[in-house]
Amino acid sequence: MRMARLARLELSEEEIELYLRDLNGFLASGRKLQQVDVGGLAGTSHALTVGTVLRPDQVGESLPQAAVLAEGPEVMDGYFKVPRIVEGQE
Amino acid sequence: MRRLAQLLAAGEITSTELVRRCLERIKETEPELNAFITVDEEGALVQAAQSDERRARSQALSPWDGIPLAVKDNISTKGLRTTCASRFLRSYRPVYDATVVERVKRAGLIIIGKTNLDEFAMGSSTEYSAFGVTKNPHDPARVAGGSSGGSAAAVAAGQVPWSLGTDTGGSIRQPAAFCGVVGLKPTYGRVSRYGVVALAPSLDQVGPLAATVEDAAILFSLIAGADPRDATSTEARPFALPAWDPQVVQGLKVGVPEEFFSSGLHGEVEAAARSVLRSLEEQGAVLQPISLASNEYAIDTYLTLVTAEASSCLARFDGVRYGERVPAGDVNTMFAKSRGAGFGPEVKRRIMLGTYVLSASHYEAYYEQAQRVRTLIRQEVARAFAEVDVIITPTTPTTAFRIGEKRNPLEMYLSDLYTATANLSGVCALSLPCGSDARGLPIGLQIMGNHFQEELIFQVAHVVEANVERVAGFEL
Amino acid sequence: MNYDIVIGLEIHVALLTESKFLCSCSTAFGAAPNTQCCPVCLGLPGSLPMVNEKAVEYAVKAGLALNCQVHHFSRFDRKNYFYPDLPKAYQITQDTYPLCTDGYLEYYIDDQLHRTAITRLHLEEEAGKLIHSGGSIVDSEYSLVDYNRAGIPLIEIVTAPDITSPRQARLFLEQLRLLMLYIGVSDVKMEEGSLRCDANISLKPQGSAVLGTKVEVKNLNSFRALERALEYEAERQRIVLEQGGKIRQESRTWDERSGRTASMRSKADAPDYRYFPEPDLPPLRLDPAWVERIKASLPERPLERLRRLEKEFGLSRYEATFLVNYPDFGQLFLELAVAGGDNRALINLLMGEYAGLAREFGHLEPERLTELLAIVDEGLITHSQSKAVLEELFRSPLSPRQIVKEKGWEVLRDVEQLREAIQGVLAGHPDLLDRYRAGEERLFGFFVGQVMRAVQGKADPKVVNQLLKEELNRLV
Repeated sequence: MRMARLARLELSEEEIELYLRDLNGFLASGRKLQQVDVGGLAGTSHALTVGTVLRPDQVGESLPQAAVLAEGPEVMDGYFKVPRIVEGQE
Repeated sequence: MRRLAQLLAAGEITSTELVRRCLERIKETEPELNAFITVDEEGALVQAAQSDERRARSQALSPWDGIPLAVKDNISTKGLRTTCASRFLRSYRPVYDATVVERVKRAGLIIIGKTNLDEFAMGSSTEYSAFGVTKNPHDPARVAGGSSGGSAAAVAAGQVPWSLGTDTGGSIRQPAAFCGVVGLKPTYGRVSRYGVVALAPSLDQVGPLAATVEDAAILFSLIAGADPRDATSTEARPFALPAWDPQVVQGLKVGVPEEFFSSGLHGEVEAAARSVLRSLEEQGAVLQPISLASNEYAIDTYLTLVTAEASSCLARFDGVRYGERVPAGDVNTMFAKSRGAGFGPEVKRRIMLGTYVLSASHYEAYYEQAQRVRTLIRQEVARAFAEVDVIITPTTPTTAFRIGEKRNPLEMYLSDLYTATANLSGVCALSLPCGSDARGLPIGLQIMGNHFQEELIFQVAHVVEANVERVAGFEL
Repeated sequence: MNYDIVIGLEIHVALLTESKFLCSCSTAFGAAPNTQCCPVCLGLPGSLPMVNEKAVEYAVKAGLALNCQVHHFSRFDRKNYFYPDLPKAYQITQDTYPLCTDGYLEYYIDDQLHRTAITRLHLEEEAGKLIHSGGSIVDSEYSLVDYNRAGIPLIEIVTAPDITSPRQARLFLEQLRLLMLYIGVSDVKMEEGSLRCDANISLKPQGSAVLGTKVEVKNLNSFRALERALEYEAERQRIVLEQGGKIRQESRTWDERSGRTASMRSKADAPDYRYFPEPDLPPLRLDPAWVERIKASLPERPLERLRRLEKEFGLSRYEATFLVNYPDFGQLFLELAVAGGDNRALINLLMGEYAGLAREFGHLEPERLTELLAIVDEGLITHSQSKAVLEELFRSPLSPRQIVKEKGWEVLRDVEQLREAIQGVLAGHPDLLDRYRAGEERLFGFFVGQVMRAVQGKADPKVVNQLLKEELNRLV
């Protein structure tokens, strides 16, 4: 299933079946939305229209390395460690 | 809360005593309720001792210094496990406090523990938690609502005087209604989201839950206001407690959207809401029928946007920097296995749907269309608020349902039928108890106000509250 | 068949801000791994981005310098993909509404002015750095991740497919690098990755309007690599086409060692990035007056400087290009040169021995250079002596006059003393003098040389010539 690959989710056979069913139910509700006449309305990405908010270019404190790595499942020499990276996959 | 503050100020009770009282209450009720994921007994007692010291030196941080609080477990607490009710984060300890946590700590509040929720706040019943279901204090066979079920149940059962929750489509108001407490979903952007684990950033808000309107308002006053770390909050005004004025309902224009009183609405819930409306009318309010016809699309719109945003927000849980990793020979398999094992079924379902609606070939038809419908809904709500001061509706179509009753996810999503509109349009809305059904289950009333009109809806709620019997809350 | 080469470039430039794009961590290069990280750039749950004003300013500056239209409304989007160096599993970038579009860059190739269109320029965040356990990514058992670099602001610049040769691609990129350097938005070091370039290349039958299938070439770590990789790739494609084959749409990586490109992934494997508007950041709305102010403060651009050097300072294209390509020399020249005046001596000095010495030891203070030119002009020292003084200037803190004085290098002005020296030389070579008398005029040069040697080169050759002529005339 392409979506599961894109979302990096390992699913069992049963799960795939289940979510396919859900997806179909969900798509029905999506189709309902597609019936709505939205004319030339622009989409809403933000609940409130806020103006541009920028931050001054000032260096603040970073975390100590130990804190950065504290929750890392696998760390080595100050780095996070990950298994082999395979290119050419989605 | 005022009474607690007075007792603390007068030295008639200490913070340590208060915290012990909460811990006892938690010990008594928790085996049945399961409102908490983590109770920080040790930490809370240390904080309480510090608060007592401050009081002794007359250096209280605020009138509320020393009062315990529970925090929903999707809000980051430095050094205190923050699981989002997910296996993936079952041992994750944040290195930083969310802004709201910083703010309540600055006021001297004591965080007693972290409350249960639907995993990553995805749900309406707190059944989808990796840490078990939270029961409704009024009937343990029923759900507490969700996703802030733990926060609502903890307040309702008197485990804590108040708590923080988050609300993306109704996740504070619906459990508040089911548990018989007051809960506010603030105007989008009025409270900082910094440190709140995102479900759908364009909809999420943090808000207070408490036994009374005034208590909710007090807690809200501690967390509201702009935060330079949240670009969507920086125009937010702070909130000061109002002088409660019963005259506020005189001439108040109350919008009553007929669409919220129609099919699917439970008779007793409708009766309770209508009775409040009548009473308000008697006190001088003007009831005005309005139409929010596009509410019909609210749930579908909400679902499309939430799943899309969530699929992106939850992608960071990949097992590289934090969380539970399932080892594998290559990194992509490691990602997929870790996520597959770490996430529960509802989370996976929503990630799948969200990935689908954002994928190149479906984006326009689903996501973009939902954004447009959202504009339609927003405009309709704006038109309504041009005519009325507040909009009053039932919070939920029914009272608390039985655990396991709703097996179909789409059916579950309908619990947010009356609440999602406030999130989609960004307005503020609160739920307060307005009676009970024949089984003794609380009924919630929703008061919606325009952007940044929290003071008004609190005032109106305060008037409503005066005629309603309190059904839950903290006792000394 | 003959083919036209069609090349388009995608360039990433790291902006020279103090702090990162979306958080306040330092951007300094070369720190210990994972020491310039915070909840935001680590993508910790709940953290939120906040845009650095300077990054926007620099991007606007770059856009203006590239003659782009700077949009007063632009928007941030999420580009979703999984990779261990990407902390949030999405990159904050600008997709649908980029900051700048429709610009161009002009540059000379062999005295011919070329123009390459810039399609778009947008802001985005940098990813972390991967260190592979093996020699390359493919033969590494594991990789290590450093997030210091994650979140540094980048601009991505995309050209139209206007470039027609590998050499032009290199010259374009060199000119772009120079431009970024001139406007001060980046240190544009390819070796540190603050300037990176990917290229799209395709072939089409000569004169055809239909574009061929394009191939993306990555891992181009130097200007030379860009040119060589494109030459290789053009040749590879030509051979495939001539043999009746088809070009696969794919990404290929350049291998410096073998001098070849190798397939990375085909188009079919290209990820679906599921772009959607970034809900955590409001759109970027720029104040037109602010943009105007940046425009007004834009420093001179390389091409403008080239033209000015030619027009106002009378330099050749070759000389002007030298000064433009080495902005430090250009700066020095402009400080010392006189517009409309004679700057021959200065440019000859700068492009002559000074260039080599300055590159080795750093530039001299402009005042000392001025003085050096002045004392040559005054005749205090000879031109040939000036070289010795110049060398001495790099070693000693003294001024040119002090050096000349200390070394006793002043030109011998005492006519009588010179006359004595001449007479001495002539008296020492009576045979030669006889031959000169007999009409062997080329011996004049020999006498000059002998005189100069007698005065240790301290005489002005012109004066020596003059006096020698007088003396010989007297004797003949």
